[in-house]
Formats: sequence, C-alpha cells, structure tokens
Amino acid sequence: MKHLIILAVTILCALPARAGVDDVLERHILPGLSRFAQAAERLDAAARADCRAAALREPFHAAFDAWLPVGDIRLGPSEQAALSIAFWPDPKGHGRRVLDRMIAGQDPVVHDPTAYATVSIAGRGLFALELLLFDPALSDHGADDFACALVRAVAGDLRAQAAGLETAWRVEFAPLLRNAGAPDNPVYLDEAEALRAIYTQILSSLEFTADQRIGRPLGSLDRPRSGRAEAWRSGRSLRNVLIATRGAHALATALADGPLPDSYAALARVEEAASRIVDPAFQDITDPQAWLRLEILQQRVRDLRAAIEAGIGSRLGLSAGFNSQDGD
Amino acid sequence: MKHAFLAALAATAATAFPVWAVERGEVLDTYADIAHAAYSDSLQAARKLKEAVDALIATPSPETLQAAREAWIRARVPYQQTEVFRFGNPIVDDWEGRVNAWPLDEGLIDYVEMGGESDENPFAGLNVIAHPVFTLSGREVDATRITPELLRETLHEADGIEANVATGYHAIEFLLWGQDLNGHAPGAGSRPWTDYARGDDCTHGNCDRRAAYLSVVTDLLVEDLEWMASQWEEGAAARVAVTADESAGLRAMLTGMGSLSYGELAGERMRLGLMLNDPEEEHDCFSDNTHNSHYYDGLGIANVYLGDYVRIDGTRVSGPSLAELVASQDPTLDIGMRQSLMETMMALGRIKSAAEAGLAYDQMLERGNAGGERLVMDGVEALIAQTRWIERVVAALDLGDVTIEGSDSLDNPGAVFQ
Repeated sequence: MKHLIILAVTILCALPARAGVDDVLERHILPGLSRFAQAAERLDAAARADCRAAALREPFHAAFDAWLPVGDIRLGPSEQAALSIAFWPDPKGHGRRVLDRMIAGQDPVVHDPTAYATVSIAGRGLFALELLLFDPALSDHGADDFACALVRAVAGDLRAQAAGLETAWRVEFAPLLRNAGAPDNPVYLDEAEALRAIYTQILSSLEFTADQRIGRPLGSLDRPRSGRAEAWRSGRSLRNVLIATRGAHALATALADGPLPDSYAALARVEEAASRIVDPAFQDITDPQAWLRLEILQQRVRDLRAAIEAGIGSRLGLSAGFNSQDGD
Repeated sequence: MKHAFLAALAATAATAFPVWAVERGEVLDTYADIAHAAYSDSLQAARKLKEAVDALIATPSPETLQAAREAWIRARVPYQQTEVFRFGNPIVDDWEGRVNAWPLDEGLIDYVEMGGESDENPFAGLNVIAHPVFTLSGREVDATRITPELLRETLHEADGIEANVATGYHAIEFLLWGQDLNGHAPGAGSRPWTDYARGDDCTHGNCDRRAAYLSVVTDLLVEDLEWMASQWEEGAAARVAVTADESAGLRAMLTGMGSLSYGELAGERMRLGLMLNDPEEEHDCFSDNTHNSHYYDGLGIANVYLGDYVRIDGTRVSGPSLAELVASQDPTLDIGMRQSLMETMMALGRIKSAAEAGLAYDQMLERGNAGGERLVMDGVEALIAQTRWIERVVAALDLGDVTIEGSDSLDNPGAVFQ
C-alpha cells in the first residue's frame, strides 16, 4: 500500500491529477463519443430513407470524421468496440469475404437488428460500409437488392454500437477513471494509473498513425503498397491521418496541466507536410517524389509523438504502459 | 474490499514466509536459466519430432503420421512457454519469425481447398510443392530441389509479405494435418497419410516433394532452436544482454510478460479471432491445438514471474524470483500480481478443459456460441487485468517506459531509406 500512496503523492504534487482526467473526459472523450453517436444516427436515418450508395457517401464521411478523434482510444468499452466499429487493417481480406458470403447466401441476419451484432466484425462497422458504398463490385445496388438491406443492417448496427459505446463510457467507465484510487475501484488503484492509461492512448494513437496508417502503404521506396492504405476506397487515407493526429494532440492538451508549445509547433509541421500530399488516398506513392512526401509526413507524426513525450511524459513523470498494438 | 483482502493476505504471507531480500542480478540469472532450459527442451522435443517425421517419410502409414502429429503436439508444450521471452529480447524477436510465424497463407506451400490468392498476397496460392519452377516478383525460381535456402531465403516472407510463412512450427503443422475444412464443426485437419505415400498410392500428387519439404522444414526448426538455446548459455549473447544492465534486464522480463499478455495473446490471438468468428483465426488452426497454445503461453508468463519452470523430463528449474523481489519491496503488490496470474491460468485452464472434453477452440469462435465466447472473453479479461498488475510492477521497480515492441522503422528511422 505504501508505495501506492507515495506514488500518488508524487503525481499529485506534479499536477492536479484529477483535473487532468476530468478534462480529458469532459473536453475530449465524452463529447467526441456523443458527436460520433449523433453522426451514426444521421447515417442510419439516411440509410433508412435511401440505402443506395450515392445517397450515403456524405453521411458516411461525416460518421467516419466523427469517429476518428476518439477511434484510437483502446480503454474499457472501447477496447472491444474499436474493433467492431473500425476493423482495420484487414490483410486477409476478411471484409470482402464476409460480405460476399452474406450476399451470396442472402443471410437473413440482415433483417434482425439485434442479431446483426453477432456477425463477424469484418462484416460490421465503417470498413464494411466503405466496401458497400465505394467498391465498384459491391456498391452498385438498387433499392430492392439484398445488398441494400445489408447496408441498412450495417448502418443500423453502427448506430446501435455508437450509442452503446457512449452510454458505456458515461455510465461505467468514465466513473472508474474519475474515481481512480477509490476503495471499490478494481481497475485503477490510484490516480497515476488513470493518467498513465490515458497517456498511453495518446502515444499509441500516434504510433498507430505513423506505423500503420502511413507505414503500411509506405512499405519501402522500391516496393510501395498503395493497396494497403487505410480507407483508400473512399479516398480518406490522408483525412484519417490528420483527424486521428489532431485527436491525439487534443487528448494531450486536455491531459496537460499547462501549455505545450512544442507540441503545437510539431502539429503545425504535421499539417504542413500533409498539405504537400497530392493524392489523399496515397495511391500515387509509386512515384518516388510522392513516396518521399508521405515518408516526411510519417516522420512529422513521430516528431509530434516525441514532443508530447517530452512535454507531458517527462515533465509529469509518466511512463507509457502496454499498448494494445504491441503484438506482432 | 479487495484491497482489505489483499492486505490481509499480504500480512499473512509476510508472517508465514519471511521474505529474504533478493538481488536483481540473481533474479536475472534465474530468468536466463529458465530461458536456456525451455529452449533446450524445445530443441530436444523438435529432435524427437524430426525422428517421427523421418519415420513417416521412410514408412508412410496411419500410425507413423499419427506419431508425428503427437510429437508435434508435445513439442509445442515447452516452446509455447518460451514465447514470454519475445518482445523484450531483440535476439529472440529477430529470430522468432522463422520459427513460429502466424497467421500464414498455407497455399504458398501445398494444395488448399479454400484460400489461395488474395488482395494483399499474390503468392497465397503458389503451392511450391506442386510447382518445381515458378515466378516470384518477376524472377524465375528453380525449386526442383527443395533446399533450406529455398525455404528460408526465397519463400519465407516472399515479397515482404508476412503471411508467406514457409518455415517453422505452423508450416510443419500444415504438412502434418492439412487444412481444417470442418469450419466450426468438430474435427481438425485430416490430411491422409497417403499424401506421403510412394508411387501410385500417393494422393494429391508430388508426395516426394511434400516429404522433402517436411524433412527440410523440420531440420530447419531443429537448427533454429539449437541456435537459440545456445544464445542463453553462460557468456552467450542473449544471457549477457539481460544480465549486463539490471534495469534493462528487468524491463525485458516485464515487457515480454506484458506484451504477450495484452497485445499478442488477449488481443491478436484471442479477442480478434473471436470477433471475426472465423475458425481459421486460431493460433494452431490445422491441429486444433490452440487451447494448449494459449495455456502454455500463460504458463510461460507465470514462470517468469515466479522464477520456476518444469522441464519436459519433470525436473524443475527455479531460483530467486521476480516475485520475491517485488514482495521484498511491496508484499501487497506481489500478492495482487500472483493472484492475477492465477486467475489467468484458471481462465485458460477452463478453455483447455472444455476443448479436451470435445468443444474445440474453433467451435468456441462460432457466431452465436455464447458459452464459447464467455470462455474466451474470460481469458481475455484475465490477461488484461494481469497486464495492469505487470504495469504496477514496472512502476514499483522504477523501470521507466516498457519498451514498446516496434517495427524497424520506429527503432531506426533511417531503416526506411535503406
């Protein structure tokens, strides 16, 4: 027990810990989840009115935009939900296989909104919708086709997931973070643990953006892999990088007890490097110049990570914990 | 409540078993001793597997195939207990992909019914056993002789695609069992022994090339394990790396425990497979041995904390432990960590007992199998809770950041330019 107290005291002297956690929840996570739930609701309403691809692309983009600021958080209920809302990367092509199978078999699960939650994550969420709205082979459905019912099912399920996630955070998980160290809190035994958990999300989000969102398509200069870019079908690859990066930075700002000038400068350099990218879907990286521009963007994201580590981590004596992406 | 309980337990433990201060260096010696013993056991078991494979090739029969499969299952017991040495030890990480890479596009190696070419992997249907000559990234490859170089240098991770797994346990597993075509229904892969028969009895063609592949790939496994076991001998590189700097050594121990618990086992291998509802998203998908794979991974994590390993001949390797080191500083923390490890082993044990009673791991992953889902998720949750305790130990020992298992590019930004 003693070391816990000492640790807590150390952290408390360094910053008003509870304020950091509260700020993160009130300024970033909870409103972000609420915005995503509203966007998913609008997407679902649009799909019920007209489930053809052309009608849904705009609300799809809006929902994806709303997801990204909170999408890299892998804590509590998000640990599971992040996978079924945005299953990516999908190197084995599970998404297409699952959708093809449901369409071929006219799977009746699409008519049961609750049962749809039991479908493979590869057939749920934003990336399943992306295939159904943007893939030439899957998006060409008329209003009476099975695929149209499938689109409705995925959109309805996404709305339910978004609402469920927001509720789970508000009711169950946010109180655990806020009441870190309370005697009946089984997850966070002191406030330092809650801070560490959030701090870890910031760093792992930026790492995911650098290594996966940018690193996967980048491959190597002589072997770029444009087909591995995130959400390239909907032309969102760069947009995803930017919104996720801004989200991580906003989380850091909310967590910090004071201004983080270096991280603002680093974020500006990310934006500057992004403005030089020509193809927002990263499909031009077979051109060495385009490849290098993307590589520079990756480096800028890593620089931002380093600036946040120096600005918050070192100053507050926080070290990152384990990261859900640590496996191979 | 839990705290009071833990505190009481700690107090009891402290009176009942006086804890002697252990030195960090001694703890690291035990860690290296366990690594050496577990890799040596893996080597010994792989040699037995090679004998069984030789017998299968010399006298193909249902019995010799069965014996080879049993030898493979036994070989996994010590090997899975070494997975905890990954993530924290660069020597292990640089080597591991040759030995236990997963998941794989097995169509690279031999005939398949499902799978084949995919968006990301044009070689997922290459089938080297049926094709003595083929083109790889615009270059013609002569594979008329199946050699160690062909598997290790040319085919393994061909075109930089990780799913092109040509060597290691899972390649051997595929050659012994074949694809599991039962979906979520009971049953593992059922490759006929006649896939290794000579002359007219040969099924699926190219039995001689299949036998050659199996023989070479098993030799490579033995060779790789020989090398790794030797790295942990007195004065050898892996041992020196963890004992030279005590903080770095302890960080390696805990990084391996945490990364295997969380990102790898709870995340990639358990939760993701469950949520994909895909029967092939299990670690030992051909043999249906996944329950053991997970169980012995979990046991390996506990071994490292408790400083205790049971060898395949039944003898024990034990010594001053991380548990004692933690207890000498904070008995409550040690009790919490131990209890959490125990809860994980109970949860993984329930998966194992259900599987051994007939509910195979791939059946647990089926859409709508609530009982199976609960079993797997209990394991996932126990592993996540365990990760939080590991983080507490890292903080208590004041070890700083746990090394995040990263790509080459992260550790060495210049590497992307090559």
